[in-house]
Amino acid sequence: MKSRTIRLLALLGALSLVLAACGGDGSSDATTTAPTGETTDGGSDTTEPATETTGGSGGEASGSIVVSGSSTVEPITARVGEAFDGANPGVATSVEGPGTGDGFARFCAGETDISDASRPISEEEIAACEASGIEYVELHIATDGLTVLTSPDNEAVTCLAFTDLYALLGPESEGFANWSDANELAAELGAPNAPYVEEPLVITAPGEESGTYDTFVELVIADISEERLGEDNDFTRADYNASANDNVIVQGVTENPTSLGWVGFAFFEENQDVLKAIEVDSGESGCVAPSADTIASFEYPLSRPLFIYVKTNDLGSRADLTAFVDFYLSDEGLAFVSDAGYVQLPAEDIEATRAAWDGAKG
Amino acid sequence: MAVATPALTPTDIVRQSIEGRRFSPINALVAFTMLFTLLSSVVILITLLADTIAAALPVFASRGLSFVTASLSPTAASAGIWQGIMGSLALTAFVIAVAFPLGVAAAVYLEEYASDNRFTRFINANIRNLAGVPSIVYGILGLFLFVEILMRGVFGAEGGIGGRNVIAGGLTLAVLVLPIMIITTSEALRAVPGALREASMAVGATRWETIKHQVLPVAIPAILTGTVLTIARAFGESAPLLLAGAQLSLFFSVSSEASFTDLITTQPYTALPIIVFNFARQPQAEFVSLTAAAIVVLLVMLLTVNAAAVLVRDRYEQRYR
Repeated sequence: MKSRTIRLLALLGALSLVLAACGGDGSSDATTTAPTGETTDGGSDTTEPATETTGGSGGEASGSIVVSGSSTVEPITARVGEAFDGANPGVATSVEGPGTGDGFARFCAGETDISDASRPISEEEIAACEASGIEYVELHIATDGLTVLTSPDNEAVTCLAFTDLYALLGPESEGFANWSDANELAAELGAPNAPYVEEPLVITAPGEESGTYDTFVELVIADISEERLGEDNDFTRADYNASANDNVIVQGVTENPTSLGWVGFAFFEENQDVLKAIEVDSGESGCVAPSADTIASFEYPLSRPLFIYVKTNDLGSRADLTAFVDFYLSDEGLAFVSDAGYVQLPAEDIEATRAAWDGAKG
Repeated sequence: MAVATPALTPTDIVRQSIEGRRFSPINALVAFTMLFTLLSSVVILITLLADTIAAALPVFASRGLSFVTASLSPTAASAGIWQGIMGSLALTAFVIAVAFPLGVAAAVYLEEYASDNRFTRFINANIRNLAGVPSIVYGILGLFLFVEILMRGVFGAEGGIGGRNVIAGGLTLAVLVLPIMIITTSEALRAVPGALREASMAVGATRWETIKHQVLPVAIPAILTGTVLTIARAFGESAPLLLAGAQLSLFFSVSSEASFTDLITTQPYTALPIIVFNFARQPQAEFVSLTAAAIVVLLVMLLTVNAAAVLVRDRYEQRYR
């Protein structure tokens, strides 16, 4: 009896050890070498990023790079990270996308090396970074266009001006269950596309943690709400289906013929067959449809820059991080912008970004 | 309940059942309702499975097992789930290593040693309550206790993933399933006949000798079954890991120079359920079928674990009885 119990326990112990042993293996074939001393990288930091064409700048950098932030930018950084990792297997890279605000919270607490952002850093976040002594450089890497959506079945709407959007989505629209409920407010604002149809207004859009929400409020709502209600009223109505999951938004918009919502351009591009983009009129531009061209030229009024923020505190000793950003800003790295569904920067903006990075490297 | 109407005495009921069945409409109605409930849950399950498998088939058809062995990638065509499988297995190892000994020891104490007083009743009630606490709450506990205090405070983890390692995740899951572990083991011990203990003590065995030689051997099949089902529970958990630091990402890599110690302390990890969640968030249509395929792998692994539970139980029941 006794020996059996012991044998059984030994078996269980062995099983757990085996599991633990294969457990850690992770992605790459871990060659469990003895500590090889500090293989501080050879020649990755001297090469010119702009002329790099092959691989992640051929480094043997080691270390770990942690990226967090915007879920909008995540697909770009993840692609860059994957390509970089192929050439630098010694570096542990992780890329997450909880949202721009959450990303900056971690960045300014010193937990991440790079923060993806779908809006510029805010005043409070700057203060938080200063308080904890985090220095950083802002790098503009791509352009996105917030796309206002409805179902393809909705033929009543083709274009909405900022005033229309304010009447339908702004803080004063709370409780409007039908498009036509906004008629009075729209008339007051002089919105060009009112009156609206007498159909249910079903809104599915990003929640407040999202940079996509912040940008929408800043571009569309803030000016009008400040004029009408005074400061600190820059938010949308609260009574809509908020989701951090862009696919849920796409689904919500698709399912209802008189829906309204907004997402980043990449999500619209991937789902063009089930979505209809509404043209947007800033009040000066006339109706502009979102497309790669109109977004790149900022002719589309809801164009917004996408950034990465790189921690510069200990850049001198971080060959891995330097090599990563070098690769990100190389032609090969920036090519992933279009892969991920976003719009490439024009040449002069790319130059400006590279200059900013070179300045930060010192 | 509706069968025994007040007019019938027990004798009547017995006579009825001996003399043969008589049609009772209420009886038939109850039976039909039960059958319908059973069928509807089976139908829901089958629909779910069929739907998932149908969506997953194209992935396995076109990529075969390379989907299982490939690493995470933002490109749908090359994305795989290997890191999730490995991460989940590593987490499970920690759950076994921590929750099994602690859970069994606690249960043995509660059932065999502790006297039935107000204190042990309080503890027992608490364990039962803890088993019902939502798992996300354990995530917050894990983030605070294991990531903040243990990894960052005690071990001074900083830089990189900053203590959000697989040990912290494994400990979080272990704490999550510990109450369930204790409860199932307690039930197993309670099912051991008291006569066995009395007989053993009557021939002079101490309490510990009784437990070691009589009680545990008889209870072990039930304990192991409970353990395996508990592990299955931990294997499918995602919410606490999101907080305790598993990578919710389309791409992460570990260093090729990482030793085994590095892998469990300084390198990022993820788990299979987390990958399912993350795949489902992606915009590309291809990720829909990848999500389904990842679910199929998760289900297959869980069913394997459950089948192992049945096998273990059968095997040891034969051996010890």
